[in-house]
Amino acid sequence: MNQTQIDGNVIDRCKRGDVRAFRELYNAYAAAMYNICLRMTGNVSDAEDTLQEAFIQVHRNIGKLEREASVTAWIKRIVVNHCLNNLRKKKVYFEEVEEVEVAEEVGIDEDSFTWTVSAVKSAIHGLPQGYRTVLNLYLFEDYSHREIADMMGITESTVKTQYMRAKEKVRQIVKQQNLIR
Amino acid sequence: MPENFESFIQQHRDAFEEPGPSPRVWDALERELEGGRKGRVVSLLGKNWFKAAVIAVLLVNAAVLFYIARHKQQQQQDLAVVIPEMQDAKVYYSNRINEKLELINAYPASELGLDSAARQELQLRNDTYKTLENELKNNPGNQRIRGAMIRYYQLKLELLDKILEELHEKHAAPTTHTKKQYEAEI
Repeated sequence: MNQTQIDGNVIDRCKRGDVRAFRELYNAYAAAMYNICLRMTGNVSDAEDTLQEAFIQVHRNIGKLEREASVTAWIKRIVVNHCLNNLRKKKVYFEEVEEVEVAEEVGIDEDSFTWTVSAVKSAIHGLPQGYRTVLNLYLFEDYSHREIADMMGITESTVKTQYMRAKEKVRQIVKQQNLIR
Repeated sequence: MPENFESFIQQHRDAFEEPGPSPRVWDALERELEGGRKGRVVSLLGKNWFKAAVIAVLLVNAAVLFYIARHKQQQQQDLAVVIPEMQDAKVYYSNRINEKLELINAYPASELGLDSAARQELQLRNDTYKTLENELKNNPGNQRIRGAMIRYYQLKLELLDKILEELHEKHAAPTTHTKKQYEAEI
């Protein structure tokens, strides 16, 4: 992420309505934020639309950004909230799940696993939306279980359970891919 | 977990990144920002902003009613599914709309400047809503009515957001609690 290029001067100019400064801000964050959108929505078209909507929100609210606040965390939060809202608009509901212990599958020869980026990417992409959202926010965006629970409007224990199930499912999918090859 | 799934991701973190968005995102964004400048005329209305908001609600209501009337002849009944989904959407949107109304109503009436008719219009269960709800009950499988209902919810949410933004910019939030709630929304 290229946010180190953004200093207080750029933010001040953005607050004064300078579009060129806003472009600097956009250029610094676009790639990283686009990747968040892509992982959350699962396709390029929705990711780009969501990115655009989120940056409009950034532009509208930048006057409220305090100097000492973390610009990266603030923009990222707006982007993630837009992704979650768009998923809800598409009737994706993040539901509570029973808090049951998720046992890892036994009897798998773990040495036989070949973990590749493409296999893991493909496995994550194939997860149900709720699992994928939790896994992405935790693993790639570094939010805590508590923060994810607050954002998604579900309990922390549900987040933990969904994360465990998501990991297990990825493991099974990758294992399956290994067997097919 | 073999080879530790989390550490595999961390070790190959960069390989999971795609190149950035296409240039069309900035182009669209720039057009939107330039279009937004024209919107400043609205904020120049100063104290009359709420009248503009109410007019917007009335226009939305009129548009929805017109839409229903126009397509009523084309409606085909399909009683198959739908109602459970709409019930979920209703609960979700109603909660969000009511939360925002609570935030707006927390401001003193003098600061809001809304008369009782305008307040009534901002409520969720106004005439347009009731009309849509009745239409949906009579035609539970009709996609057009479902779409109109969802769009109605979304437009109402957008309008309430706009009012809250204006209120937040023009006045100090009435209580720490509501201020925190509003900031959490952003």
